[in-house]
Amino acid sequence: MNIPKYKLKEFIISNSIAWILGVIWLIPFVGVLMASIRPYREIVGGWWHFSPFTITLKNFVGAFNHPMFPIGEGLRNSLIIAIPSTITPLLVAALAAYAFARYSFPVKHYLFAFIVFLMALPQQMTIVPLYFLLRNFHLLNKFQGLILVHSAWGLAWIIFFMRNYFSMLPTDVEEAARIDGASDFKIFYKIVLPMALPGLISAAILQFTWVWSDFFLALVFLQNPEKYVATQRLPLLRGQYFVDWGILTAASIMVMLVPLLVYTLFQKYYISGMIGWSTEK
Amino acid sequence: MGEVKLLGVWKKFEDVTAVKDITLEVKDGEFMILLGPSGCGKTTTLRMISGLEEPTKGQIYIGEKLVADPEKGIFVPPKDRDIAMVFQSYALYPHMTVYDNIAFPLKLRKISKQEIDIRVKEVAEMLGLTELLKRKPRELSGGQRQRVALGRAIIRRPHVFLMDEPLSNLDAKLRVRMRAELKKLQRQLGVTTIYVTHDQVEAMTMGDKIAVMNAGVLQQVGTPEEIYNRPANMFVAGFIGSPPMNFLNGTLTEGGFVDFGPFKLRLLKDQFALLQEKGYVGKNLVLGIRPEDIYDGSLAQERASENNMTRATVEIVENLGGERIVYLSAEDISFTAKFPPESKVKEGQKIEIVFDMKKIHIFDKNTKKAIF
Repeated sequence: MNIPKYKLKEFIISNSIAWILGVIWLIPFVGVLMASIRPYREIVGGWWHFSPFTITLKNFVGAFNHPMFPIGEGLRNSLIIAIPSTITPLLVAALAAYAFARYSFPVKHYLFAFIVFLMALPQQMTIVPLYFLLRNFHLLNKFQGLILVHSAWGLAWIIFFMRNYFSMLPTDVEEAARIDGASDFKIFYKIVLPMALPGLISAAILQFTWVWSDFFLALVFLQNPEKYVATQRLPLLRGQYFVDWGILTAASIMVMLVPLLVYTLFQKYYISGMIGWSTEK
Repeated sequence: MGEVKLLGVWKKFEDVTAVKDITLEVKDGEFMILLGPSGCGKTTTLRMISGLEEPTKGQIYIGEKLVADPEKGIFVPPKDRDIAMVFQSYALYPHMTVYDNIAFPLKLRKISKQEIDIRVKEVAEMLGLTELLKRKPRELSGGQRQRVALGRAIIRRPHVFLMDEPLSNLDAKLRVRMRAELKKLQRQLGVTTIYVTHDQVEAMTMGDKIAVMNAGVLQQVGTPEEIYNRPANMFVAGFIGSPPMNFLNGTLTEGGFVDFGPFKLRLLKDQFALLQEKGYVGKNLVLGIRPEDIYDGSLAQERASENNMTRATVEIVENLGGERIVYLSAEDISFTAKFPPESKVKEGQKIEIVFDMKKIHIFDKNTKKAIF
C-alpha cells in the first residue's frame, strides 16, 4: 500500500481510532469465544490467562445435548418459528406494499399512516389482549400461535419498508410489461418481485433476526419447556447454584451463529436493499 | 389495420389540463411525429393512445376499433390494443437476458417455444443483437439497449408502434445513426408509427408527417415541408428551424410597404393584394423571415432593389465552418441571418442586407396566426 506522506498522519489517526473501537467492540465476544472453547478450570480465573490453553468442543456438545434444556432442540424450535414467521408476513406485506405504492384507492393515505403508527406500538402494550386472543383460539403454547403473532407484528414494518422500496422502482418497466400484455398479477411476480429482490431479502433478514432474537413473546406464549425456543433456554442453562460458563457461552455462540450466517450469506443484497428505509419517492 | 384516430381528446390531471381537444388522424403505415417543447402534452397524448392513461373526454380509435371513450365507458387495456411501445429509458427488464426481454411479449401470448425461438433470432439478426442474446441489460451500451427495446417492440408485429423520445438518451453521433436506422426499419416493416420528440431535427428528418403541439393544443399537422414552409402560426414558425425565424413588428402602409420604423420593405403585389383584401392596411402585423432568407448585400446584388434592402450593423458573427450565423441590428430591431462562408462581414461593420420577399411570412399580431 502506498500512502503519500502528507496523508500519513491522517491515515494513522483514523486507523488507530477504528482499531481501538473495533477491539473494544470485540473484546466481550472474544471472552465468550474463549470461555466456550476451553475447559472450565482454565477460564475460571479469567479468560485472558492463556496458559495453559486447551481447545475443546465439550462445551458445545454439552450445551447441545443439555439434560434439562438441550439447545439443539431450542435451535430446532427457533427455526420452526422463525422461517414461517419470515415468509408469511413477507408475502402478505409485499402484496399490500405494492398496492400502496402503485394503486390509488379510497383512504389510502390514512390507511398507510395508520400502519406506520402501528410500528410505534410497544409489544408490552399488546401482550395481554394477545394472550387472551390466543387462548380463545386455542393457540396458546403452540408454535402456530407464536408464528401468527410474529407474522402480524412483522406486517406493519415490512409493508412500510417494501412500499418505499417499490416506490423507488422505475414505473416505466412495469408499464412496458403492461403494454407487452402482462396482467397486474404477472407484472407483480414476473417483473416487480425480481426487481425488488434486494429489498425482499433485506426485509427477510431483518424479520428473521428479530424473530430469532425474540425472548419476550416466546416467554409469554410458550409455557411447555419442550417447546422453548433457543433464546428462552439460554438463561435456564445458568443453573441455580453453579454457573457453568463453558456451557453458557457455547450455547450463546450457537444461538448467535444462525443470524450471523444469514447476514454473511446475504450481505450483498442486504446493503443494497436498505434503501427501503428511505421515504423519498 | 393500423390507422389511429383521436377525436376531440382531452386529458385533465386534477387542476392541470395536459391535452386540450386534440383531433388527429394517423394513416396506416404513416410515420407521425408528435413534436413540441417539454410539457406540451405530447407524451400524455402518446400514453393515451397506448392505454397507459385514460382520456378525460373524446374518442380514440386504433384501426376500426374504438379503444377509449369515457362517455360510453369504453376503455380497452393496453394489452388488447395491439400496440408496442419504446420508452425513453428503454424500460428493459433488468433481471432478464436480452433473449428473454425480446421473447417476453410472446411468452405472455403463450406462443410455442420453437416459434418464439425462431422469431427472437430473426429479430436479433435484423437488429444486430445475435451476439448479445445471453447478456443482461446492464452489460449493454446505450445503443444496444435501445435496439433491445426496439426488438421487444418489433417481435409482436403490432399494428402500431409508439415511441417516446427513444433516441434522447443516446450520444449525438449514435443518435444520428439510429435516426436513419429507425426510419429504414419503419419503412421496411410498414407499421404505423407515432413518435414523440422535442427535437425538431428528428422530426424533420424522420417523419412523414409532423403534429406540432404546444401547451396541450395541437398547433399544426403537416408534412415536414409544409410545417417548415407554411407554418400555421408564430409558435410553429418559431419552433421549427435553427436559428429560429425572425419576427419583425411593423405597420402595413397604403403604398404596400411594411414599415418597421428604421426601415421599410415593399411587399410583392399579390401579397399586398391579399392583405388589402383582408383589411390589414394601416394595421400592425408581424413579418416573419427565416435567417437563410436574409442575404449579405455584397453577395446578392442581383437580388437587391430599394424595396427589399436595408443597412444593419453586424453585432456578432458565429462561424460554423459551412455557414456563418450573423446577429444584426437596425436601430432597436435585431435579427439573425445565415450567410454562406464566402461572406466576409465583420463584427461592428455596417452592411447592406437583402430580404427575400418571396419567402416572407405575415402573421396577425393579435391572433398570432399566419396570413400567408
